[in-house]
Amino acid sequence: MASSVLANRFGAFLDRRIPPSPSITLSQNNIFIFPTKVGFGFAGLLMLMLLVAINYQSSLIYGIAFTLGSMFLITILYTFRNLAGLRIEFQSAQAGFVGEDVAFTVRLVRPRGAPREGIQLGWPGNLPQWAEVYSQEADAVRLYVRAQRRGWLNPGRLLVETFFPLGLLRAWTWVDLSASALVYPSPVFQDAPVALAGQREEGALVDPRGSEDFTDIRAYAPGDPVKHVLWRSYARSGGGSLMVKRYASYVEPRLVLSLEDVEGDIEERLSRLTGLVLTAAREGREFGLVLPGVDIAAGTGDTHLEAALRALALYGR
Amino acid sequence: MAAERWAPAGPRIPRNSLALLMVAQAAVVLPHVAQLSPWIIAVCLFCGYWRTRVYQGRWGYPSRLVRLGLVVAGTVGVVLSAGGSVNLELFIAMLVLAFAFKLVEMHTRRDAVLVIMLSYFIIATEFLFEQALFIAVYELVATILVTAAMVGLNQMHSQVRPFASIRLATGLVAQALPLAVVLFLFFPRLLPLWSMPLPGSARTGLTDAMTPGDVAELGRSDALAFRVEFDGVVPDYREMYWRALVYSDFRQGTWRTRQEIPEEPQLLRSGDRDVGYEVLLEPTAQQWLVSLDVPFRKDPRTMLTSDFRLRSETPVLSVLRYRAVSGLEQTRGLELSEAMRQRETTLPVGDNPRMVAYARELLARTRSVEAFADALLSHIREQPYTYTLSPGELPKLNSVDAFWFDTRRGFCAHYAGAFTYAMRAAGIPARLVGGYLGGERNPLTGHWMVRQYDAHGWSEVWIADRGWVRFDPTAAVAPERIEQGPSEALRGEERAGLSLFSAARFNAGSLFGRLLLVMDSLEHRWNMFVVGYDQETQRSYLANLLGDLRPGRIALLMVGAGGVCFGLVAFVLFFRHRPAPQHPGVRLIDRFSRAGARAGWPRTPHESPQAYVRRLGGSTSLAPALVSTLAGDVEMLLYGGGEGDRALLRRVATGLRRLRLRLVLGGAT
Repeated sequence: MASSVLANRFGAFLDRRIPPSPSITLSQNNIFIFPTKVGFGFAGLLMLMLLVAINYQSSLIYGIAFTLGSMFLITILYTFRNLAGLRIEFQSAQAGFVGEDVAFTVRLVRPRGAPREGIQLGWPGNLPQWAEVYSQEADAVRLYVRAQRRGWLNPGRLLVETFFPLGLLRAWTWVDLSASALVYPSPVFQDAPVALAGQREEGALVDPRGSEDFTDIRAYAPGDPVKHVLWRSYARSGGGSLMVKRYASYVEPRLVLSLEDVEGDIEERLSRLTGLVLTAAREGREFGLVLPGVDIAAGTGDTHLEAALRALALYGR
Repeated sequence: MAAERWAPAGPRIPRNSLALLMVAQAAVVLPHVAQLSPWIIAVCLFCGYWRTRVYQGRWGYPSRLVRLGLVVAGTVGVVLSAGGSVNLELFIAMLVLAFAFKLVEMHTRRDAVLVIMLSYFIIATEFLFEQALFIAVYELVATILVTAAMVGLNQMHSQVRPFASIRLATGLVAQALPLAVVLFLFFPRLLPLWSMPLPGSARTGLTDAMTPGDVAELGRSDALAFRVEFDGVVPDYREMYWRALVYSDFRQGTWRTRQEIPEEPQLLRSGDRDVGYEVLLEPTAQQWLVSLDVPFRKDPRTMLTSDFRLRSETPVLSVLRYRAVSGLEQTRGLELSEAMRQRETTLPVGDNPRMVAYARELLARTRSVEAFADALLSHIREQPYTYTLSPGELPKLNSVDAFWFDTRRGFCAHYAGAFTYAMRAAGIPARLVGGYLGGERNPLTGHWMVRQYDAHGWSEVWIADRGWVRFDPTAAVAPERIEQGPSEALRGEERAGLSLFSAARFNAGSLFGRLLLVMDSLEHRWNMFVVGYDQETQRSYLANLLGDLRPGRIALLMVGAGGVCFGLVAFVLFFRHRPAPQHPGVRLIDRFSRAGARAGWPRTPHESPQAYVRRLGGSTSLAPALVSTLAGDVEMLLYGGGEGDRALLRRVATGLRRLRLRLVLGGAT
């Protein structure tokens, strides 16, 4: 389609003109400026005033038309300056689930001089967000993007625009901050799958307190509880080596999740697995995750959870 | 951090912009009140009140039906009150009504933008009615207010900063002015492209018809008619007869102008008493111009008529500035064409029979025109005639008879009218001339002001071998009028009422009198250089400046000068950083740190000002106690709430200066 060809060309042009970078300082090289509809309307109004001035031979109407016209010209400087010198930095992105708004944090840093007002920031297809750097030197703006699919979310070029001060002109730029956020599959919560429930049954050691069982004896290693030391055998051996009794305690069976444990097509399975992972993490259970090409050993903790979610998000991507 | 979101479809007007917009609208409509019918003003006030209620959240916006009803009723009302005439006031009334209705219903940014554009336009239209300096200043302020409302539309947190928009708008307008001046001077002025509806309201001043009572009415107005500046020689007050209109048609007690006879004006240059002058005529919405006695060098925009008057090609709608030269001893119209004789002797049949009989009888006795005129004037002088602003009503029929023989009370037009009538009755070509006599000098600028109460009527009589000769019958009844002006010729209350605003009434020492003169001088300059700056003035100005008028050179000059103005603004905006007002202590420390860095002792980022001072002080030969005191003072100044302590500030400044000196002199080791 012609429009997509045009869009591609424009994209290529932008890539050459404003190469992707996590921090971009705006200048005449990357700011575009053009009158808005209001600006053209204003120009029409000035023409009308000029006609009235000519036909009524009124110097003062010439005067007001020229004053407004000069103001129009001067706002070019104002509108341009509102963006010029502004540094836009990609600060961070929060991971999120499909269907959620993922937050990107962008910092605006202004050079010395006048405050920057009425700046609108927006990713394509999302509502613009108003921002200003007024009294401080810098300000952070959170921009939300609705996550549509799992994997890396790249919101594309950020539109930075301003109509300040009069709305007659629009200065804008499209910056590629190389921002990306990780999007996890949207979780589907369910009861534990049958296979997992059965495994729990087989584990047989459901009561953690009454299930402490003596297993074997081995040599003492620093850190072993003193309670478990075989003092009698120590005395007998006449101060030889310390031996300790070992107990095993089966609290919970280890969850090792895999695609086979859930049903549905691949995306649905990933969603269900995500749900399971989240449930396990909430309950504080140890879990592992096995996907083709991925093997995450059982464990707990935020880092572990993140690794699992990341694997789910990036599976097949 | 703003986390609120704006919906692009139908975004609301920020509240602070809305408040500004309402103030601006009121400011914009206010000067138009003079041109609007009272009911429109009432509608505007009501709409303003309605909107305020909406703003407060008490009333709602009008429904669709109400809006439609208002628009229909408003349009019908405007058309009805215009009474079928299409004039400028009609359009202004429509514009203002639309403006008021829009005020009530606007709630999106789009509406606000429309209202702002309308506001700018209404500001411009006010200049069709008024061009005074204070109106221009007022409208500039109104422009700033409207612009501030527009700024508010594009600001985010403007609610918190109510005056930031106004400040910014003031800056914008102020920075636009130099560029606007360049455009004003150099942008080519064009002649009217098509004719536009004219202001319908009558302006005070002379018109095409003169009933003697009218001039008496004018006599009560102190409105300015025109200002004039003489090149060198100023004629005597007695000679300042400013001719404006010639009335040749008498019917029903009223003198009217006639269609002009297409003849070349016959002039015979005789005298060498030429007077050059420049007139700044206040708008009259008519085409007549004033000129002294006999003008013969004409401005390209003025035409000389066959009865020796200057005429403008278009109605004078704003102050018109034109030059003229008049000969004060000038013979005109030695030859009288048949058409002209016909025109200047016609009288209605059967009107004023007593005057006709009287004139014929008198001419039979006196024989020559001069003697006849003298006899008429002595009649006025000798009989009990009174010069007064309130002569009473005269009948439409036989009005001259009633004045000449019965009431004997009248103003200049009565005497001149009767005199002209008598001439014509005797078969002598004569006409009534309307204009102004004299004026008042402003000693500050040296120009003359002629006001409506200087309006005057006199006669011109054609005498063989002499041409058209001026006779002023008023001189016979009130010679003071001719010598010194109307306020001298009138008595008692009439005189006091007349000269209320006349600067002549105030002696030079009076503060108010001086103030009036200063204001008049300002207004005169304003008219000369701004209001009166038209195509002709521009041409002569540019010719003076450039030597020639090639469009290329003018364009180059305009672009060059405009570029300089634009560049200056750019410089101010981009290169001259106005630092935010800083704590004086911070400023001192910053300066000290920069100096320290230059001397090779930069302040490390983590170092507090106090620690820095201690470090540098310790490495110089300065007494440790002094350094310690200074560091303490610095801390006190910056963090101890010592902002207002001038003595402390001085102490720190001195201490730092001393320390810096040591550093620079190499005291540091």
